[in-house]
Amino acid sequence: MLSRQGALGIWGDLLLTSVFIAAVSLALFWMAAFTLWWQMHAWRTPEVLASTRFSRPDGDEHVSFSLLLPARHEQAVLDHTIQRLLESTHTDFEIIVIVGHDDPETTAVAEAAAERDPRVRVVVDTHEKKNKPKAMNTALPHCRGDVVGVFDAEDQVHPELLAHVDHAFRTTHADVVQGGVQLINFHSSWYSLRNCLEYFFWFRSRLHLHAQKGFIPLGGNTVFVRTDVLREADGWDPDCLAEDCDLGVRLSSVGKKVVVAYDSDMVTREETPGSLMSLLKQRTRWNQGFLQVYRKKDWRQLPGFGQRLLARYTLMTPFLQAFSGVVIPLNAAVALFLDVPVGIAFLTFLPLVTAAVTFVFEIVGLHDFGKQYGLRVRLVHYLKLVVGGPFYQVLLAGAAIRAVWREQRGRNDWELTSHVGAHLNDTAAIREDVPA
Amino acid sequence: MTSTLPAVTTEKVPAQRQPAPTTGSTGRTVTPRRLRSSRPDLLLCGALLVAILAVQGWNIADYPTLSDDEGTYLAQAWAVQQGRGLAHYTYWYDHPPLGWIQIAVLTWIPSWLSPGSMTVGSMRVVMLIVSAASAVLVYVLARRLSLPRWAAGLAMALFGLSPLSVVLQREIFLDNLAVMWTLLAFTLAASPSRHLWHHFGAGLAAATAVLTKETMLVVLPALFVTMWRHSHRDTRKFAMTGAVTACALIGFSYPLFALLKGELLPGGGHVSLWEGITYQMTRPGSGSILDQGSGSYGVLHSWLYYDRVLPLGGLAGALLLVATWRWSVTARALAGPALTVAILTGLALRPSGYLPAMYVIQALPFLALVLAGGTASVAQVVLRRWRADGEKRYLTGGRYALAAVLALAAGAYVLPRWYDGDRTAVTADANAPYRSASKWLSTEVADPKDTRVLVDDALWLDLVHDGYRPGLGVIWFYKADLDPAVTKTLPHGWKDLDYVVASPTVRRDAVDLPNVKAAIEHSKPVATFGTGPDRIEIRRIKTTGTAVGGVR
Repeated sequence: MLSRQGALGIWGDLLLTSVFIAAVSLALFWMAAFTLWWQMHAWRTPEVLASTRFSRPDGDEHVSFSLLLPARHEQAVLDHTIQRLLESTHTDFEIIVIVGHDDPETTAVAEAAAERDPRVRVVVDTHEKKNKPKAMNTALPHCRGDVVGVFDAEDQVHPELLAHVDHAFRTTHADVVQGGVQLINFHSSWYSLRNCLEYFFWFRSRLHLHAQKGFIPLGGNTVFVRTDVLREADGWDPDCLAEDCDLGVRLSSVGKKVVVAYDSDMVTREETPGSLMSLLKQRTRWNQGFLQVYRKKDWRQLPGFGQRLLARYTLMTPFLQAFSGVVIPLNAAVALFLDVPVGIAFLTFLPLVTAAVTFVFEIVGLHDFGKQYGLRVRLVHYLKLVVGGPFYQVLLAGAAIRAVWREQRGRNDWELTSHVGAHLNDTAAIREDVPA
Repeated sequence: MTSTLPAVTTEKVPAQRQPAPTTGSTGRTVTPRRLRSSRPDLLLCGALLVAILAVQGWNIADYPTLSDDEGTYLAQAWAVQQGRGLAHYTYWYDHPPLGWIQIAVLTWIPSWLSPGSMTVGSMRVVMLIVSAASAVLVYVLARRLSLPRWAAGLAMALFGLSPLSVVLQREIFLDNLAVMWTLLAFTLAASPSRHLWHHFGAGLAAATAVLTKETMLVVLPALFVTMWRHSHRDTRKFAMTGAVTACALIGFSYPLFALLKGELLPGGGHVSLWEGITYQMTRPGSGSILDQGSGSYGVLHSWLYYDRVLPLGGLAGALLLVATWRWSVTARALAGPALTVAILTGLALRPSGYLPAMYVIQALPFLALVLAGGTASVAQVVLRRWRADGEKRYLTGGRYALAAVLALAAGAYVLPRWYDGDRTAVTADANAPYRSASKWLSTEVADPKDTRVLVDDALWLDLVHDGYRPGLGVIWFYKADLDPAVTKTLPHGWKDLDYVVASPTVRRDAVDLPNVKAAIEHSKPVATFGTGPDRIEIRRIKTTGTAVGGVR
């Protein structure tokens, strides 16, 4: 440790510094420890892990589905998605493709599909400024099924998913069933690796904790809501940038029952945003959305103090993440280079300890991810995971700061993410920067 | 695989406790899910605990003889309490400091109420807390390892009431604390709920055990095996990595501590962790345990003097469990303790190793567990093996008669011996010479503050309370030769000293310590307590009164 008596004058009272460092360290430690605790929820005991899966359907079918498929400039992938949905083993469902009045290419694909199969219908959204919640609200009155399901135009849906969801609705008397969504292309880039793992931990584990605690921000697709419940709640909030999260918060806040189930062979497969910039924009939108949901205060109706605390913490997470990403290294540096007592210096290492534990569990998570999906994870991926960690943290921090800045400036337009996959090469980045 | 309900919201959701597939786990779990709500378990464990506390607690201060090591750790705990750092002499990384930090915490309240009670004899009382915790943990661990109730009780009784245990567990040894943490680690590793954070906690407890007494490092593989067997296939990956990570991270705090103090690597003018480890690893061996006349042989027989049942019976139990591995469920359930016994025995048999007298402490609970497990196996064979449904009554009766005969024979062998050993423990007074020496030095020396005296560690705190200056006034005898910070205050060697208290330890070690040796040679006894090789002499240095120099 560098002993610099002269430096103390600049840095003020040693005691004050020590107390400050200790307080920051302990706060960071508890934050990281709680996040880790929740992240590992599904693996706490074998029983919990078993309970996170879909139960096997009994072959009975009672629930009819209206599957919403909002599509915008997604003519390249839409048909494939519809075809795959039509392969579902469930016998009672309709697909409602929602297209924009200013998007003839996608409309053409949708109408061609509707002509081929009577289960496919097309609804045209005529809003001047378009976004996903408005599109889905437009389609809501047209839904005939008992349950409304939401998918994205590029989703790969498992044919047996609907049967499982049907069973889950009947056996648990749920109002909402959230299925798993999983990014798969972990090998594409260093950030897609981390992005995939984020999804893995979120849908595999953390979301189940939220369901159990009765406060849940829903995902954007593979989400199923009873039609009457959805209508009662007036559908989606057209002004919210994270309408999915908002819907979950509103429904769970009034005591609706949400069930989460994750099966690796039943998840909806997606891919990570095609560039670092689009990931940043997507994350900014989510963060801003979370911030909006936080400010809407629906979560205050939650009956339990613990639930409200969890809500507060969850909705603030992006910002706490940004904060801790900056402060953890700073804190450690202060401890190393300032002349603080050994005991205090020890405390500053506490957040690093939790960070290290998180890292290790991420490595194990990546291994499990590979096993679950039959993907070959190589040494280089583990290395990328570790080395990329701090950089990803910087990205998250950047997105959080950007979100606050945009929210402050009143910019709440959609920065949609474009999906550029192997089968999507002709889709350019279209709506990345819609002017306000 | 998918036969369970998904997680659900609403507050009244029952905890997700669907039975998980049992494949991949040990396969045998008859232990009650919650031991603490099982009345027979509580009664048995409670009764044994009272007996153990009574036998261990009665006469604890007077038997066995105060040991030098007890004095060392308690004095360092005192230094921690006094805010003098980790030791009152330079802390030189002889052991990780966590052990006596815990002793400091345990003795905090009594020493705050009565500062004079901070002496080895009176503070042995706090070791009862440790013994009690360890004994209960042995019971819980035995139950979690699927032993029947009576066998768990047997393990606890063996562990807590063997005369060897009584003698060693009364003493303020770091090993006793380390054993408690190790047992906690095993108990958490064998948690019936197979909870991720229990396994994580097992890692933390294991690290604490190692930082309490570093020799616990060798037991970690057995802990790993236990955890492996008790974790579930689906979550094992996370549980095992979590435990190892927790253990490693806490373990690294020790080198980190040294690094922060700038004492990780050797350098001019300071002690270092590296040198501390080197010292411990290169301690001269005490010879082969099988070689009569070697130090190790003597140590082994000092253990067997107190009790043969637990060490030898435990080894036999371990052998039996290993031999019946293929057929016996009990043998497989006790894989962890049996492996621990095997590792510790293997290390003790090294011909070149150093075998300290307290080595056996860390083996005691595991010897007790495997002996109880072996007994349970035998009972199983006698009472259940080859037993058909319609077995004739006289055959069944014969089985029970045989079991009764075996139990009576074992009892007839063990109980008289243990009775003798434990009666000595609760009646003998081995420390009268120490008490008298302490009294003499507090009443017969006119000016304690300016008197310099060499004592062994066990008496050191007594003299501190009598007004001698800690460190340079009352001096741990070997520091007069080995600690540069002390020797530089003795420029004239023995002439700068006033007294030397020649206890057996001091006389034994003086051979290699020139200053101490000279002090004994140039002094004559002014008071002698006890007789024979155990006597304690207070010897006045001949030049007393004319000594000059030195820092007084």
